[in-house]
Amino acid sequence: MNAKLLFPLIAALPLLATSCATDAHYVQTGDREQIVNLKQINIQDYAKAASLAVQKLLASPALDRVTTPPALVELSRIINNTSQQVDTDLLTKKISIAMLQSGRAVTRTVDDKAIGYQQQQAYLNDPRNVRLPDFTLSGKIIETVERAGDTRRTTYTFQLSLNDTKQGVQVWEDEEEIGKQGTRAAVGF
Amino acid sequence: MKLSNYGFLALGALVLAATGCSTMNTVENVPVQGQRNIIADRRVITDPDLARSVAIIAVNTTPGEGGLLRAQVEVANHMQSVKRFLYKFEWFDANGMQVNNIISANLTEQLEGGETKFISSIAPTPDCKDFRLKLLSAN
Repeated sequence: MNAKLLFPLIAALPLLATSCATDAHYVQTGDREQIVNLKQINIQDYAKAASLAVQKLLASPALDRVTTPPALVELSRIINNTSQQVDTDLLTKKISIAMLQSGRAVTRTVDDKAIGYQQQQAYLNDPRNVRLPDFTLSGKIIETVERAGDTRRTTYTFQLSLNDTKQGVQVWEDEEEIGKQGTRAAVGF
Repeated sequence: MKLSNYGFLALGALVLAATGCSTMNTVENVPVQGQRNIIADRRVITDPDLARSVAIIAVNTTPGEGGLLRAQVEVANHMQSVKRFLYKFEWFDANGMQVNNIISANLTEQLEGGETKFISSIAPTPDCKDFRLKLLSAN
């Protein structure tokens, strides 16, 4: 190749490399620039699973079948059956917030001090006044991986159950699947 | 006939384009038994391409459990290829104040060519009377 053409091309390379870099900036969860990873649950995946699940829960009459509304729900165990460490509060806290906001359920506190005060008051007054949860909310997160050559499809399944503590039955269940496929992580979907 | 390099590229592009175009066929019962409460709506179109690939067909609402309003929007892809998009329901109380909530997250969705789909939401509180659906193209 002619040296006169080659030198400007070499000189332009650092400029091209610089233009590919992105300056740090604030983003909104679940926006068009969201990062999509094949080997991990992204923040928008929790948001989608929680939003869809809680809409179905609020659309169901299950929470209204209590003698003294609003229903008292205790957040129980969410089993993590994925290959990664997961803070399940990213899912359950969103559901708890939505239930409280709807006015149809309250959740049992996990704060040690609040529990201590409640036990103290129950001892001083009548222990029979202590309200037991009407429901518990439990679930499981499952990861399924399928491969075809370099292409990987990962499906995260979020299973949730609302369990009636008096009858020992499940009164509502839901399953949300978040599937991602590709050969590498990407920005945008 | 001998194809040039450009000829091969054009042929390849045609094959790719043909592979990307697949549309959906459907069948349903008639007459339809369920009666939707179709409501009047106001639309603001700033992306005409998106309005063709995620076209709004109808909007209906119904009072849900616990006094929570439910909204459902029927959308259709009038194009031949798959369309990915973001949607978000915003909810407002009787005073027109927006009620921020978990349900109003940006959610991803996709429509195959020619597909019709329902996207829905439930009001986060019984006070919510109005809603707005926002749609955004993925690319």
